[in-house]
Amino acid sequence: MPSYLFWLFATVMLIGGAAVIAFRNPVSSALSVVTCFVGLAGLFIGLSAFFVGVIQILVYTGAVMVLFLFIIMLLDLKDEEKRAKGIAPLAAGVGLVIAFVVQLIGVLSRTPNKSAPALNQETLAAAAGHFPVGEKIATSLTAGRLPDVQLIGHTLFTQYNLPLQILGVLLLVATIGVVALSKKQAE
Amino acid sequence: MPAYYLEALTVTLGLVLLIAEAFVSTKSKAWVGIAAAVGLGGVLVLTCIAIGPDAKPDSAWAKWPLWNFYQFDSLARFYKTFALVCTILVILLSIDYRKILARFTDHPGSENGTGEYYALPVFACVGMMLLASAKDLAGAFVALELVTVTFYVMVAYMRRNVGSLEAGVKYLILGALSTGFLVYGIAWVYGATGTMSLSNLQPSISNLQSPTALLFGIALVMVGLGFKIGAVPMQVWIPDVYQGAPTPTTAFLSVGSKAAGFILMIRFLEPFLASDMTRGPVLKLLAILSIATLLFGNLAAIPQTNFKRLLAYSSIAHAGFLLLALASGAPETGSSLGSSQVVSFYLATYLIMTLGVFFVLAQVRIQRDGENITDFNGLGKTNPLLALALTVLLAALAGVPLTAGFIGKFFVFSLAMEAKLWAGVGVAFIAAAAGFYYYLNVVRAMWWADPGDRAAITLPAISKVCIALLTVATLVLGIWPQPILALLK
Repeated sequence: MPSYLFWLFATVMLIGGAAVIAFRNPVSSALSVVTCFVGLAGLFIGLSAFFVGVIQILVYTGAVMVLFLFIIMLLDLKDEEKRAKGIAPLAAGVGLVIAFVVQLIGVLSRTPNKSAPALNQETLAAAAGHFPVGEKIATSLTAGRLPDVQLIGHTLFTQYNLPLQILGVLLLVATIGVVALSKKQAE
Repeated sequence: MPAYYLEALTVTLGLVLLIAEAFVSTKSKAWVGIAAAVGLGGVLVLTCIAIGPDAKPDSAWAKWPLWNFYQFDSLARFYKTFALVCTILVILLSIDYRKILARFTDHPGSENGTGEYYALPVFACVGMMLLASAKDLAGAFVALELVTVTFYVMVAYMRRNVGSLEAGVKYLILGALSTGFLVYGIAWVYGATGTMSLSNLQPSISNLQSPTALLFGIALVMVGLGFKIGAVPMQVWIPDVYQGAPTPTTAFLSVGSKAAGFILMIRFLEPFLASDMTRGPVLKLLAILSIATLLFGNLAAIPQTNFKRLLAYSSIAHAGFLLLALASGAPETGSSLGSSQVVSFYLATYLIMTLGVFFVLAQVRIQRDGENITDFNGLGKTNPLLALALTVLLAALAGVPLTAGFIGKFFVFSLAMEAKLWAGVGVAFIAAAAGFYYYLNVVRAMWWADPGDRAAITLPAISKVCIALLTVATLVLGIWPQPILALLK
């Protein structure tokens, strides 16, 4: 990815993130999260993770945040706009952020700078050796294309099969929880 | 039998219970809880015959990629047993607590809303069992979230009770924050070493030029895990959540959730303690955490007047002792116990004592309609046997000799002294002395205060058997701790 694109998307993300807490109106805050996610998707696509980038837009921006917006509008939150912000929590929050950033700069300045290998015909063809010959992943890799959807599916359903199944149980528990906590009360 | 059958069977049990509960309509839902306890008891028996891939290396299942995420050693077997025993006792406690649950869920007169409350601990148990076998940070994270999400629901379960709802919201928000720290820390560890597998971490640490980024990641993960075990300064949620949650959930949080946090901490820190580059800073971090936790937990417990809140502070205090054992960083040798075994032993005795106390507290809550220390007034005159059992359990929590609690504390002190953690030992002495004061305060209320018009308590059968068993176990293990030590070998 050209570095000016990285800075562009990173700036979009930072502005979105700052706007989330700066806006008083919850709807504006939710829309700022959407902006932030669009910048994140841009970064993913710039890193050749096309599938993750598209999913970021479709699922997070398109579905999750729209759902959030609906909920905010349904609840009709007005208190947040009236609430006066004290100086003490603001100072504590800024102090924590500064401490964290200083820590982060300290760590990053001591971390050696390594660059990932470029995704070109050579490296892709070399990676094809890890997959069964003749299958879709191996043929696309040899041809110099990145079959990222297949690669993610392959990793998820073979190597990471156990965590995936645990996630299934987790979603079931969450569903039961929603039903148990919100079902209509008998009178 | 391959070990992963245990989790598969437990998930199946949970699913069957949910479906059965939905389709069988009976007035009382107690049978769901009894079925859950019996089913988990079956899994507990199977734990004895479960084997890992080392025991049968030529079978087909021993070569599955599953074993990159799942290990089965003596520690895993111990914590699986722990999770199952804890869940069974919590479900039995919920059965006797269902009157209060019914009052605050669907409708005071019906138990329709209480069925899921017996099935949810089964799923939390699966998460704890998976954490005991954690071998990869991605897998461990998913298992930990399974435990945490189940607890979000169980804490807020009494939805007609403001205290329970408030506890649920607080736990949800702070739990989400701690998850954020944990994931960010895991990302840093992965970024520094290039692997999430705990067994591959050690070789990659030795190739590092500078451990700074890795240490940053470890610190963030420790913040996340500190929330789960209740270490200072990540303990702020504990008093309010413990007080507001339904009593069986509180018992489960203070024993099961804490043990799950500790086993993950033991597994996560193992490669870092084995490497010279990270061992020093990690031990220092643990020592600071343990001293802060011991001081805060014990000193803040002294002025408490609500017994449930007192138990919340007591759980912070015990986390301090457990962290002190970890901070001494002793490896296991042929003749002496290592840090991880001492932590496991301490947790086992803690389970027995704490759950016993919660069984008594639940009945006092139901029959005297309050959880304050004054609600225990005169229990020695109205129910001498029950008061005697509670006295034994509280004395064990304080660490009186000849009880199980003493042996746990003794192991911790001897480890800390061997490691020359003099500051930790000093603070732990003050902490133990404060513990004597606030636990025996309740004992004083029971035997020397006047009951007034408070009625005698009639114990339901399940509570009676459990309290008797747990009290006897506290005394027997105080003289003869070999059964738990044998499990740890």
